[in-house]
Amino acid sequence: MGSTAQTLGGRGRLRSSQRTAASLRHLALRGAAVVYLGLLVALPVVAVVTKGFGDGLGTFRDAMATPAAWAAVRLTLWTSTVAAGLNAVMGTLLAWVLVRYRFPGRRLLSTVVDLPLAIPTLVTGVMILALYGPNSIFGRFLDGLGIRVLFTPIAIVIALCTVTLPLVVRNVQPVLQELDTAEEEAAATLGAGPRTTFRRVVFPAIRSAVVAGTLLTFSRCLGEIGSVILVAGNIPKKTLTAPVFIFQLTSQFKPAEAAAVATLLFAFSFVLVLATSRLIARKEAPV
Amino acid sequence: MPRWFKRRILAAPLVLTLIGLAACSSSSASGATGCSSSSPASSVVINFAAYSTPREVYDAKIIPTFVKEWKDKTGQTVLFNESYAGSTTQAQNVVNGLGSDVVALSLAPDIQTIQDAGLITHDWTQAPDGGMVSASVAVFDVRPGNPKGIKDWSDLATAGTGVLTPDPAQNGGARWNLVALWGAALRGDVTGIAKGDEAAATTLMQAVTHNVISYDKSARDSIQNFESGNGDVAITYENEVKTAQAAGEPDTAVYPKGTVLIENPVAVVDKNAQAHCVEDVANAFVDYLHTKEAKDFYTTVGYLRPVDPAKAAAGDPANGFPAIHDLFTVADLGGWDALDQKLFSDTGIATQAIAQGG
Amino acid sequence: MSAVATPKVRGRGWLLAACLVWVGMLLLVPLVGIVITALEPGIHVVTETLSSPDVIHALQLTAVITVISVVVTALFGVVVAWVLVRQRFWGRALMNATVDLPFALSPVTVGLAALVLFGPGGWLAPFFESRGIQIIFALPSMILVTVFICVPFTIREVVPVLEEIGLDEEDASRTLGASVWQTFFRVTLPNIRWALAYGVALTTARAIGEIGAVLIVSGLLQGKTETATLFIFRAYEERQVPAAYVVALLLAAVSVTLLVVIEFLRHRQERERTRT
Repeated sequence: MGSTAQTLGGRGRLRSSQRTAASLRHLALRGAAVVYLGLLVALPVVAVVTKGFGDGLGTFRDAMATPAAWAAVRLTLWTSTVAAGLNAVMGTLLAWVLVRYRFPGRRLLSTVVDLPLAIPTLVTGVMILALYGPNSIFGRFLDGLGIRVLFTPIAIVIALCTVTLPLVVRNVQPVLQELDTAEEEAAATLGAGPRTTFRRVVFPAIRSAVVAGTLLTFSRCLGEIGSVILVAGNIPKKTLTAPVFIFQLTSQFKPAEAAAVATLLFAFSFVLVLATSRLIARKEAPV
Repeated sequence: MPRWFKRRILAAPLVLTLIGLAACSSSSASGATGCSSSSPASSVVINFAAYSTPREVYDAKIIPTFVKEWKDKTGQTVLFNESYAGSTTQAQNVVNGLGSDVVALSLAPDIQTIQDAGLITHDWTQAPDGGMVSASVAVFDVRPGNPKGIKDWSDLATAGTGVLTPDPAQNGGARWNLVALWGAALRGDVTGIAKGDEAAATTLMQAVTHNVISYDKSARDSIQNFESGNGDVAITYENEVKTAQAAGEPDTAVYPKGTVLIENPVAVVDKNAQAHCVEDVANAFVDYLHTKEAKDFYTTVGYLRPVDPAKAAAGDPANGFPAIHDLFTVADLGGWDALDQKLFSDTGIATQAIAQGG
Repeated sequence: MSAVATPKVRGRGWLLAACLVWVGMLLLVPLVGIVITALEPGIHVVTETLSSPDVIHALQLTAVITVISVVVTALFGVVVAWVLVRQRFWGRALMNATVDLPFALSPVTVGLAALVLFGPGGWLAPFFESRGIQIIFALPSMILVTVFICVPFTIREVVPVLEEIGLDEEDASRTLGASVWQTFFRVTLPNIRWALAYGVALTTARAIGEIGAVLIVSGLLQGKTETATLFIFRAYEERQVPAAYVVALLLAAVSVTLLVVIEFLRHRQERERTRT
């Protein structure tokens, strides 16, 4: 009754039979949603968490007891942080350039920025192997400088940056677009340089979008497998990331331990995704 | 009527059709409830799971020939569903429900895993050559001209040498490689290590794993990694090097003084074959693999080493299969059970060495 | 005025250059590299690869999985979005959080979940085994993992739009005597169509490119459970590098076309949003 009244904006013009029909409809829809999400999303997650922690903390301790395990989690955390940080800066700059500048090829750049959304991560890995392999121009150039890229954490960061390139941009772009330039022009007339204007006027306005995009990027990086598994080398304690470690455990027929590490990773990510949703919701709340 | 409404209506039967197709394809993968022993089907499906290395010989040579000969002989068409991945992962997949009828794996323990799960109920070692269909040796794959002068296992331990070997927990090749290292050291084939000196052998293993730059999930991934220009040496199968050379790659094999005879088994997974009513075809296929014709095929991709250790050691130097000074088998080292326990268990020497991050 | 303009112009140059280098290095250069390597042997590689039965089957499989994923997540996505926005009930926040779960999971974890649920000894295994239906190492598990991964896209696109447009038009429609279905199809759906289309485009791109989860559950059966991405994987291992790159380029080309569509749709969506 309450929901129907809300739906109709409080106008209780329906007969009671119509109200009942409406409530049933609402319940049916809600039921469908619950079944869909419950079976398809909640059930698998519960399965993994239970598999990992079903025996209490024992399995988790076993899984994390190997020296590779904590090292993998640490490596994942710091490479994701670096990638998220880089993309926070470059993503914001890209959004700024795309929104505020006019130059030939702007539409093309916008399309290219979105490419990682549509390229399979495996292909990204192949691209990086091709670009930095010792038989390529780039690889040879870097070899000459004594810099090794492939099979080091550098390759991991490059893969993560590539795969998450559009996330911050897409988050910040719409906010920038809706910003009224009047304030910036006012600041300019008052004598503020472009950098001060950005720091004092623009950034506060886009800050939550940048943060939300960065958190989303970070969360995405935590779970990246397709590109990293090809380029990282996967040496325990050196270049073995958590998702690859989970993959190895799964391939080694150690599902309980894989589930334990996966749950740890998932807990990190989930907290971040929740925080991001909250930020986005607050940002888009009716003004 | 709005365009979107029409699209929704069309979507429903589409979804139902696709789900129906999915169900059909999946139920065809599961077994029939009973086999009609009277008239054989005009076409059967064999699910074949193998390790990563022999894909060229099975996919392009052995399987098509067998299919043709079987059709000529019985009129029955055989369709092979092939899957290639790291040997140990494949074994686990079969245990987990990959309905393979025939498995060709890298080493006996992986077949044992499937047998222990109750899917193989006959003694597969009673087949000719103890169930082995191909054999090779562990060698070093180096850059053309061998710039780092790698000759023996101890050279892999030199500081700054980038070594490639796959992940022992996912494939067989890695275990063969480490067993070769261990055996050579223990048997006194490695300069600087006394015969039977386990402590020195352990140190060597730790030093070599320290130099590993990438643990790939299959032997094939490992050698391709090497071919991409990474590392100075890859420990791999002799036949993998030859397959690569046949594909035009500049891989160069260096043979250590002592190495292990790699013996690859094949077995019918009779529980699955019975469920799929293809046991006779599966058995015929495995029998075929032991024939001279199949062995010749293996040779074409570099598996010349006969399963007989003495002959394998002699090799065929004229045709690019150098003699090996000390070619030992797993049996010489006490058998797989003992080796698995000593090297690859959770507290095993190799496992520990790798987990130390090298 | 010019005193303000000059430093800005110089700064602009640097900024633009930095962005172009960033995007160029990470994306364009590698992409060009692949194109060159793929076409190096000659155009015939493209026709040979794309006509090989394994590739055709892989592309078909990817198409089937993608279409099912798109239809399921779009249909149910609209339902969930509706329920989240238009209904108030206990557990709404929980449902909202559940929608975000797939974003928080690594694809390998999704594959692992499928194994835990449907593999031997799995929670749901007895039900399917007794009926002789194979889930793991067969198409159903590949569809399930892909659908799981794609669940949030349409929901997250439609929810904000539903919130924004509010109830006014729908209320008006109902008071004018339209039935619930008429209101939905004639009023609500046209309002959310760009958001929904955008969500569908994102879902499609994601489903086409899925590798991590299907690698675990597919069993890699050539010509049977091998998607386009798994084929690329295998072709690389068989040293058929040009073939691998050709298929990779095909997927990338499909994706780029999708992108152009996404861009176009997003433009429309932005314009409709600001129109209020």
